[in-house]
Order: sequence, then C-alpha cells, then structure tokens
Amino acid sequence: MTPKMLLLPILLPAALAAILLLLPRTLRLLRDVLAVAGAAVLVYYGFVFFSVKDLRYAVPWLGMGIDFDLRLYHFSSFILLALAGFLILITLYATVKMKDAPRGREFMAYVFLTAAFANGAVLANNFVPLVFFWEGLLVTLYGLITIGGRPTSGRTAVKALLISGFCDFAMILGIGLLWTVSGTATMSEISVEPTGLAAAAFVLMMIGAAGKAGAMPFHTWIPDAATDAPVTFMAFLPAAFEKLLGIYLLARVSLDFFKIQPGSAMSILLMIVGAVTIVLAVLMALVQTDLKRLLSYHAVSQVGYMVLGIGTAIPIGIAGGIFHMINHAMYKSGLFLSAGSVEHRAGTTELKKLGGLRRDMPLTAFGFIVCALAISGVWPLNGFVSKEMVFHGALETGYTVFAIAAWIGAIFTFASFLKAGHSVFFGERTREVPEVRESPPAIVLPILVLAGLCILFGVYNKLPLTLFIQPILAGHAEAGAPLDFTSHALDVFNMVALISIGCLVLAFLLHRHGFLKGGRKAHLASEPIHRLPGVHQLYDLAERRVFDPYEQGVKVLHGLSTVLFKAVDRPIDFVYEKIVTVTGSKFTGILKKAHNGHYANYLAWCLAGLIILAGALSLLAK
Amino acid sequence: MNVETTVLLTILIPILGSFAVPLAGLASGKARSVWAVAVSAVTAVLPLTLLSFALEGGELVVRKNLALGLDFVLIIDPLSIFMASVSSFVGFLIVVYSLGYIRHEENQSEYYLMVLLFIGAMMGLVFSGNLIFLYLFWEIIAISCWRLIGFYRQPDHVRKADKAFLVTFFGAVVMLLGFVQIYGVTNTFDITAMRGTLVPGTAVLLILFGIFSKSATIPLHTWLPDAGVAPTTVTALLHAAVLVKIGVYAFARLFLYTFRLPDGWQEALPIIVMVSSLVAAGAAAVENDIKRILAYSTISQIGYIFLGFTAMNAAGISGSLLFILMHGLAKAGLFLCAGIVIHAVHTKDIREMGGLIKTMPVTAVAFLACAFSVIGIPPFGGFFSKFLVILGTVQAGRPWVAAMALFTAVLTMYYLFKVFSLVFLGEAKHPAPERTKSMVYVVAVLAVLSLAAGLFVAYPTKLTNIATTQMSWWLR
Repeated sequence: MTPKMLLLPILLPAALAAILLLLPRTLRLLRDVLAVAGAAVLVYYGFVFFSVKDLRYAVPWLGMGIDFDLRLYHFSSFILLALAGFLILITLYATVKMKDAPRGREFMAYVFLTAAFANGAVLANNFVPLVFFWEGLLVTLYGLITIGGRPTSGRTAVKALLISGFCDFAMILGIGLLWTVSGTATMSEISVEPTGLAAAAFVLMMIGAAGKAGAMPFHTWIPDAATDAPVTFMAFLPAAFEKLLGIYLLARVSLDFFKIQPGSAMSILLMIVGAVTIVLAVLMALVQTDLKRLLSYHAVSQVGYMVLGIGTAIPIGIAGGIFHMINHAMYKSGLFLSAGSVEHRAGTTELKKLGGLRRDMPLTAFGFIVCALAISGVWPLNGFVSKEMVFHGALETGYTVFAIAAWIGAIFTFASFLKAGHSVFFGERTREVPEVRESPPAIVLPILVLAGLCILFGVYNKLPLTLFIQPILAGHAEAGAPLDFTSHALDVFNMVALISIGCLVLAFLLHRHGFLKGGRKAHLASEPIHRLPGVHQLYDLAERRVFDPYEQGVKVLHGLSTVLFKAVDRPIDFVYEKIVTVTGSKFTGILKKAHNGHYANYLAWCLAGLIILAGALSLLAK
Repeated sequence: MNVETTVLLTILIPILGSFAVPLAGLASGKARSVWAVAVSAVTAVLPLTLLSFALEGGELVVRKNLALGLDFVLIIDPLSIFMASVSSFVGFLIVVYSLGYIRHEENQSEYYLMVLLFIGAMMGLVFSGNLIFLYLFWEIIAISCWRLIGFYRQPDHVRKADKAFLVTFFGAVVMLLGFVQIYGVTNTFDITAMRGTLVPGTAVLLILFGIFSKSATIPLHTWLPDAGVAPTTVTALLHAAVLVKIGVYAFARLFLYTFRLPDGWQEALPIIVMVSSLVAAGAAAVENDIKRILAYSTISQIGYIFLGFTAMNAAGISGSLLFILMHGLAKAGLFLCAGIVIHAVHTKDIREMGGLIKTMPVTAVAFLACAFSVIGIPPFGGFFSKFLVILGTVQAGRPWVAAMALFTAVLTMYYLFKVFSLVFLGEAKHPAPERTKSMVYVVAVLAVLSLAAGLFVAYPTKLTNIATTQMSWWLR
C-alpha cells in the first residue's frame, strides 16, 4: 500500500463520472454495470483503507504552505468506508429508479463526482484541498437538484446553492482566520484555544460544517428539494453524504482544531443550535402531508442530536453524536429509499392518497418500519443507543434543558412516524392508488441492507462503538479516564432510558388521540397539535416561508442591491451624464460669448493673460 | 531567438500588422480574416515562448537611450510575461470568435485594425518600463477603444463611446500629472530606476485617477456598463480580458513593483476597492440588460484583484495575478455566451429570454461553467484566485474587508444564477439554435480552460508565485 493509493478514492469516481457522462444513452446496461462495479471497488478499498488506517500522501502544490496533503487515519477511513457503502447502495437503487428519468445518465455521473469530492474532502489534511473538494460539492448539488425536472426545480437548486454557498464562504473566512492564528494550513497540526479571533474562526467554521449537515437555520432548501429533486438524491446527499461530511468536519473542528471544553461558551452555542434544530424541525415534520417532505424535516431535526452530542464536549456525548451520524445516515437513507419505492409503484407520496401498502409491498414496509422505529429511538435499534448516549452527555453537562429538548424531539419524532407509517402501510387501501406490487430487487435490496444494519448496530452496539467510534475519541478523553460505554448502562433499565421510553408512550397516546379524533384517518393524526390555538398561526406563517432565512435573505439582497444601485451608482452616473455635460456646455457658452469679434475685447483678453502669466512666473521664480 | 527580440516582435507584429489589415481587406474579406487571425495567433504564441524564461525567475531590462530622459525601456520579467500571455491569448480567442460574430457587418477592416492595434498597444504597455511610454500606449488603447465602442455608429452609441473616451482620457491626463510629480521627486521616468521610492500621497491620488478610470472602479466606472453598446466581441475584449486589466496591471507595476505607498493609502485602498466591488455587484443584481450585468460583474471582480494587491502579501498578490488569468477566461466566456444568445434572440433583456438550454446546450453549459468560475466555486479556476485573495486579506489583518468580499461573492452567486435561470431555464420564449460554429467552439474552449485552469492550477500558480516574489521587494 503506497501513499499514492490515496488518490484512488478521488480519481476513480471522478474518472467514472466522466465516462458515465460520455457513454451513449443506448449503452445503459454497460453504464449500470460500470457504476455498480466502480462503487464495489470503492467499497473494497474502503475496507482495505480501514484496515491500513495510517497513510499520508503530501506533495507541494501552490506554495505558501498550500500542499496537496491527504491523510488517512482512523476517523477519515471510517467515513471513507461509510461513504463507499452508501454509494454502492444508492447506485444500485438508481439503476432502477432513475432508469427512465430524463437525464438519468447525468444523475449517475454527478453521483460519482459527488463521491470523488466527498472522498477528497474527508481525506484532505490541508485547508486548501479541503475547501476545494468541499465547495466543489456545490456544483453537483446544483446539477442533481435540477434533474428533478419540475418547474420549480431550478429555483430550489439555486436556493440550495446560495444557502450552501453562504455556509461555505463563512467557512472560508473561518479557515483564513484560523490559518492566520495558527500559522499553518496543515489540519493535523492545528490545535488552538477558542478565544478572540480564534473564537470567530470557530463560529464561522461551525457554520460551514453545520450548514453542510443541514442544521438550522441553513436547512430550508432540504424540504423544498424533497419535492423538487429526485428522491434518490434525497437519500444520497441530504440523508447520507452531507450528514457524514458535515458532522465529520464539525467533530474535527470542535475536537481537533479547537479544544472545546464542557460548559464553555462555544459548547453552549453548539448545544443551543442542536436543541433548537431538534425541536423546531420536528414540529414542522409532524404536520407534513407528504411523506418525502416529512422525511426531509426529520433529516434536519436529527442533525440537532448530532450537533448537540458533539456540543456537549463530553466523551459519551461526542461519541453519541458521531454514532448518531452514522445511524442516521443508515435509517434516513433507508426511509427515503422506501419512500422512493412507494413512489415507484404507487406514483405518489402524499399521505392521504396512500394506505394499506404493507400487504402488497411487504419488504418495503418492513424496511420502512425498522428504519422508522430506529429513528424514533425504539429499543433495541441503533437510534435508541445513540440517542441515549446524547441524552447522557447532555445531562452530564448539567444543562438539563438540552436533554429535555432532546426528549421533546423524541416524542414528536415517534408521533410523526406513527402517522407516516400508519398512513402509508396500514389501514385501508385508498381508491387513488392502483394495484401495486413490490418493487424490483435492486430497489428493495438497499432498503433491506440498511434496515439490517440498523438492527445490527442496535443489538450489537458494542461492535460499531468499539470498532468505529471509540478510536475517534482517542486522545480526547481526559487522560486516564477509560472510555467505557457500558458504565452508562446502555440498556433499558436506567433512569434516562425509562424517560425515553416514557416519551415514546406519550407519542403513541398522542397519535392514538389524533387518529380517533380525525375519524380514524391516520394522516390526520397530527391535527390536534396542528390546530392548537396560537400554534396554528405559527404553522401558517412557517408555511408561508416567513421564517425561511433564505426568502428573507434574498429580499435583503435585493433591497440592498437596489439601494446600492439607486443611491450610489446612479448618482455617480448622473454626475457624468448631466452635471459634467451641462457644466461643459455652459462653460463653452460663456467662452463663445466672449468671442464677439471686437478687436478691443481680444486686446483686453491678451492683456489679462499677460498679467496672469507674469504673476505666475514671478511666483515660480521666488 | 533571444528574449529581447521576442518581446520587440510581440509589440511590433500586432501594431504593424494592424495597419496592414485594410490592405488585406482590399484583396478579399477572407484574406483579411486570415491575416487578422494569423497576426493575433503569432502575438499569442510569442509571449508563451518566454514562459520558460519567466519560470526561471528571469528579469531583463532593455534600455534604448533617447533624448530628454525619454528612454525606451522594456521590462521583461515574470509579471509582464504573465500579463502579456494572458491578454494576447484571450485576444486571439476573441479574434477567432469575431469571424462569426462580425461576419455580416460593415467596416470590418476598421474593426480588425482596431482590435489588433489594441492588442499590440497592450503588449507595448505591459512591457514598458518608462512612464511616458506607458502613457503613450495607454492612450493608443483608449483611441482604439473609442472607435470600437462606437462601431455600430448609431448616435447613441457614438455618445457612449465619447463618454468612455472622455472619462478614461480625463483619468489618464490626471495620471500624467502624477507622473510629472514623481519626476519631480526622482528626476527620471524610468521605472527600474525608482524602485522602493516613497511617493507623495498626492501623486498616488493622481495616478489612481488614471488606474481607476481605466479599470472602471467607483467612482470612475459608469462608462463601462454603457460601453455595452459595442459589439459583444469588443465588450469581451474591453471588459473581461484586456482593457480593465490595464489599470490593474499598472497598479501592480507602479504601486507594488516600483513605489512605496504612504501609510494612509495602504489602509484606505482595500476599503475603496471593496466598496466599489460591492456597489457594482448590487447594480448587477438590479440590471436586466445581460451585457450591463456582466459589465457590472466585471467592475465587481476587478475590486477583488485590487483587493489582493492591497494585501501586500504573497497570498494576496499571487491570488490577484491568478485572478487576472481566471477572470479573463471566465468573463470572456460569459460575454461571448451572452453574444451568442443576443445574436440568436435579438434582445439583451434577460426577462425576454428563457428556456434556451434546450436549443443551446453547449452555450448554456459553458455559461454555467464560467459562472461557477467567476463566483469562485471549485473545481473551476476562479476558486483559487478568489480564495487566495481572501486569504491574503485576512492575513493582512483585515477580516472585515474579507467578510465583505465574501458577502459580495454571495451576491455574485445570486445575480449570476438569476441570469442563468432567466436565460436558460424555464419556458422558452424565443427558441433559437446555436448557429455559428466558430462562436460556439470559442465559448466551449473558454469553459474547458476555466475548468482546466482549476484542475491544473499548480502551473499558473508557479508563475504567479515567481512573479510575486520578484515584485515584492519589501518582503525580501
């Protein structure tokens, strides 16, 4: 294994992307085979790299401390493996789901290009390659959303681009500051105290990382993309890749570059972002009437747990946050893929048009239910374990309010998934949806694999925790303190777990109440909360995008531009267009009048000129 | 062929060649086209042969003594070679594109004469090591611009051309006053003889008038959007690749390579140029005429180039030099894409376009690629230049200015994608195909080059780094 091998996870998918883009439309089979085989190679090397763990490839690049520096170590190899795993599942799924989609060829190419950028961003050990790969994702983000092909897709793509671009630019400024403070761009050498300028750098880099992960308030494009972009895209980027990347960087920022202490201002800031994201996004998710939009709000809400976990700055919380990242990627990707499977056969994802699909699509239903229970934190699935760790971490900081926020999130998460699952897979078949059958294996297999992993990571949680998560924290736990997750008793019989289970029971009661009140219609189960006085008005405002920072931001941009144009640019032009020309013509008019043809007049001019000349000369002579 | 001859040929071939254009035009239209392309191609290749000299960090000063201290001095160093290569190369692409664009117009002989004279004078300006010769070439360019902007001869166009000429001429004359004042301090016009001199603040102000008027920086900028009445090829040449870079080049040559700036100016300049950049970006977001939008965008990006220079450190200067290249490629690409669109739909108003991606796929993708580069999104070349400029600004201890620059980048993204969405996406209002091949090839080449410049950024950066080290005597 030579260091140069580290270029493979970047160059292979990039080359594949180019090939896939150029391959004629008629060779679809070859395209699919190439894509799946390429992804399989990446998975293989993912395992190889994971076993190697320590590799560094650095060549001088642009001078000024900018090297093309790639570093493989435990954390990056873990993310690399996870990315490859999702890539192959999505590729497999897309071979069927995107088969007849217009621009399906481009879709595959962009997916691989995204993989190339993502792998590069994870491996980068110098800020410039990091930003290069990280920001490069904007290109594929824009391309992938426009493939949705709806009239509003272009608009949503621009929205995603502007929001993500804003976050990336914030990160660039943060990197610039951190670089100036620490004096180096080599990531593995940086470790500073977050004070003064460095604190600003931390906040800016946090915006970059959390924005990529989709934390509030940088999330608003995700629900829009849920309807405007292909569902495969949702399972690929917002559910899996962007979470992995965003949380990876957030962990690097708060653990490596800056040593965040528990209870410090930075830690509390992160926890606030996390808690607010959890609660607000889940409340939006609860009242959604479209399965894909509902899932997309959960994709935002769950980021809150990860940010909260890392923000606690306590080993168990950090480990929980990172574990939640991988868990979330699995079940949320699985959920989106199930939604895609339903869409594939039923042609819609609107909750009120769906019902009773469990008999006709049993495998999809099974996958969905497992993933839904996992995201809701039901014992013994993986979501339960990572959420418990986050709860423990939040409680250990002493700020109980954050744990309470997380529990509130758990209540509504389960309630909204009861509503979603109940509406789609249980109850009576509706008239809107024709006869359906189970989706083809290439669609079902990825869902089942993800559901299986959710079970595995939950029941045998020691396996991922010791294999993947624990080594990441090596060196971050206090010296000598053993990182023993069992001491936190990650099982059902402790105070924290009992509260969590209580939350689930509460959610069930809420759902049942709404279900009965809505005339036994599952998709109306959230209405009692939706209709609460006061709450209802807020929901209406939210639906009208009043709280959408993007919509408001664009208004500000437009207003500011108009002001700059009308108050600065045009007045300056007015000077040239009017004042200069009018003054010029007035002045020439005066001169014209002075030339009246009288000899005496000209003589007077000459005399005056001579006097002035003499005066000037005498002044200069002095 | 030695370095000195190459440089002399780079200057003389296009200048003399330009005057032969009408003769070739007498023979046939085809001969004229071939001649124009051949001359511009030779002009593009000659500076490239000097690259190895530049990469070794070579510096050569050629001095021909003339009367009155007006020595003819050539400075051949990485900075001038880099600048000459970029300008002449983009100039060559624009001449090729003109073959299709200008085909049906009258006065083609005059057009090619002026374009080649423009390129030749640019070469002269870039290599000049004497302030007076710098000024002479500066004004030759202004004259050929004046003719080119008013190329279509409508009264309104001629008036706009006059405006451009008068503003830049006014600036240049004020700059000449500044040169005279500097002569008072140094007793020479020879740039090489006055490196490291502290110049008086008033001279800086006077020279900045010239630089800002040529590089269209607020408050001397409004002639540039108005110059959009010219043929698109000309606006690409003026706005993107060459003309506006003259001021930038002069800034680098005079205020970095040669003089020492008084303290106050070092603090004030970053703010002035960033305000210019922001205001122009705002104006670009409001305008609806595609060429005016791109012109304002140019003003905005020029602000970044100045910003990098004012950082006075390696990252900033190297980034700005790189910016000249990246912006030249990408913005020329955008203008030429706009040219194809305008040619086809016969309007410049973006609100009246739409859905053109279906009929003009290559143009649309090229536009998108160049837009990504201008905004500063990798893997396109513009990313590196913008990143380095911002890094340099932060390292110079001006995080607030850097934040403003990044905000301007967001605004850039906003208006460029507004243009893209309105022109290429949505409902087709005037479906029109891409007709002329030579035009489409050129925009495709520019888009591919913008990408390649990003992927293989290490090569141009090597040159800009060497140029930076050589310029920055105060860092040594």
